[in-house]
Amino acid sequence: MNLGMRQVASVRTDDESFEALFTAEYARVAGIANRVLADPHEAEDVAQEVFIDFHRLHSASAQYAPAWLHRAAAHAALNRLRGARRRQKRELAQGADEGAQTLDPQKQVEVNEDRRRVRQALARMAPKPASVLVLRASGLSYAEVAQALGVGIGQVGTLLRRAETALRKEVTRGTSL
Amino acid sequence: MVDDPDVHNGVNDARHFESCPACQARFKSVAEDAQSITSLMAAPELKVDVASAFNRVQAAPAARPKFGFRLPVLRPGSRPMMLAFAAAVATVALLATALASGDNIFTPSTVTPVPVSLADMQALSQLSAYGDVSWTTQPNLQIVTSAAEAQTISGLKPPTVNNLPSTVSTTVTYAAMPKAEAVFTFSKDKAAAAAAQAGKTLPALPAGMDGAKLTVTVGPAVAEIFGNMKPPAAGSDVTQLSLPQLVVAESSAPVASSTQVTMMQLEDYLLAQPGISAELKAAIKAIGDPSTTLPIPVPVEFATSSKVTVQSKYDGVALGDNTGVGAGVIWINHSVVYGVVGSVKLSDAIKIANDLT
Repeated sequence: MNLGMRQVASVRTDDESFEALFTAEYARVAGIANRVLADPHEAEDVAQEVFIDFHRLHSASAQYAPAWLHRAAAHAALNRLRGARRRQKRELAQGADEGAQTLDPQKQVEVNEDRRRVRQALARMAPKPASVLVLRASGLSYAEVAQALGVGIGQVGTLLRRAETALRKEVTRGTSL
Repeated sequence: MVDDPDVHNGVNDARHFESCPACQARFKSVAEDAQSITSLMAAPELKVDVASAFNRVQAAPAARPKFGFRLPVLRPGSRPMMLAFAAAVATVALLATALASGDNIFTPSTVTPVPVSLADMQALSQLSAYGDVSWTTQPNLQIVTSAAEAQTISGLKPPTVNNLPSTVSTTVTYAAMPKAEAVFTFSKDKAAAAAAQAGKTLPALPAGMDGAKLTVTVGPAVAEIFGNMKPPAAGSDVTQLSLPQLVVAESSAPVASSTQVTMMQLEDYLLAQPGISAELKAAIKAIGDPSTTLPIPVPVEFATSSKVTVQSKYDGVALGDNTGVGAGVIWINHSVVYGVVGSVKLSDAIKIANDLT
């Protein structure tokens, strides 16, 4: 009997914890995905999938929850970015969507082209450097980046510098192709 | 000098920075680089409606915690082993069920190894199609990070490992589950349909077995999982996941009871299934007191087993060898089943078992 009551109490607490975690982290998780995909709609799809996966497998009160979500958002979005078919679809949608909002069509074309090249470069990078760039650009602190990637905080600066160099190289490579 | 802008490096560093053109130049260059990358990675503005998003996630069927959990050990190379392991676990439940007596409750107090081949596992795993399973108490396995949380969930104090081998990480994750209870109802029609689908002829169902109910209680259980396991990221490549190095588990022994049929009828019926090997039949028949012995299935294609004495008094089953690839020890102490399994030498697993408190 006691066990049964404890189980119910535990489930209820976990549901409440999940809602609190969702409220606290959703915008940031979606932001990380958006930083990778440059597509708010697809980013929200990724963020929701990440939360569903998390809830299925983990306790929302786990200390590692935010770090897990951040890392999962980066990985899941990078995986999507690498899907060629989706990428083409997204680029078309992105171009049409943003083209309608801009006042300066020439400038918008340039912005879109820059974003496309950067995302192609990100897709070609190894997961770790790509993730470190995405997480930092999404506003995570060095400590949060370290937790998400399971590295020491002292390594984050070095990882970032290397990743920045790798991204520039990939962007240049993409331009010269 | 640390380039983390959030870190206050102290008075000494600040003083050094003010007087060091090299550091200033480096910091400036780092900051400019970071800024240029940030602008390079600019993204369209994102406006989120958290409440609507939460409702969508809650409405998704998979958002509710499911039974069981996905073990983070699904490396493609280890899949056959994992399948064998999963089948072995299923076999334990089935054999425990099979040994339930009509009058007596199956309450194991000791363990014994029984050799199980893949063909046996296949034959036994099909038995689940011979009736309907319903959970009177759903299993609710949860992964938590502290021993206290695991104890709150399971009501069991996680065992203390006093001599962890140096090759095993001290990072621990806990899995905990309250008691769960399932009822399996044999159905003559379902059994016939499943057999027909598999193209098999079944042995005659014992009289009264149609509608017989088997109630199996498992848990509560708690497990300590040692290893620097990186939690599986959504969409991540499974080959990047780490294997647990050692699992130390403690569970109340399964308890089973049945209606309408006797233990001997069930045992005979199960062992008469097509595909069950002569070795398994002989091993089951050789168990002295079936109502108090938990058979530990040993997949003969993958592992060797032997009997050991744990903590100088409990009969146990040892699996594996001293190569360090994989070994385990399982024993029962006062109706609680203990297991120490991992990628360690058998001698280390036995030492851990002997010193477990």
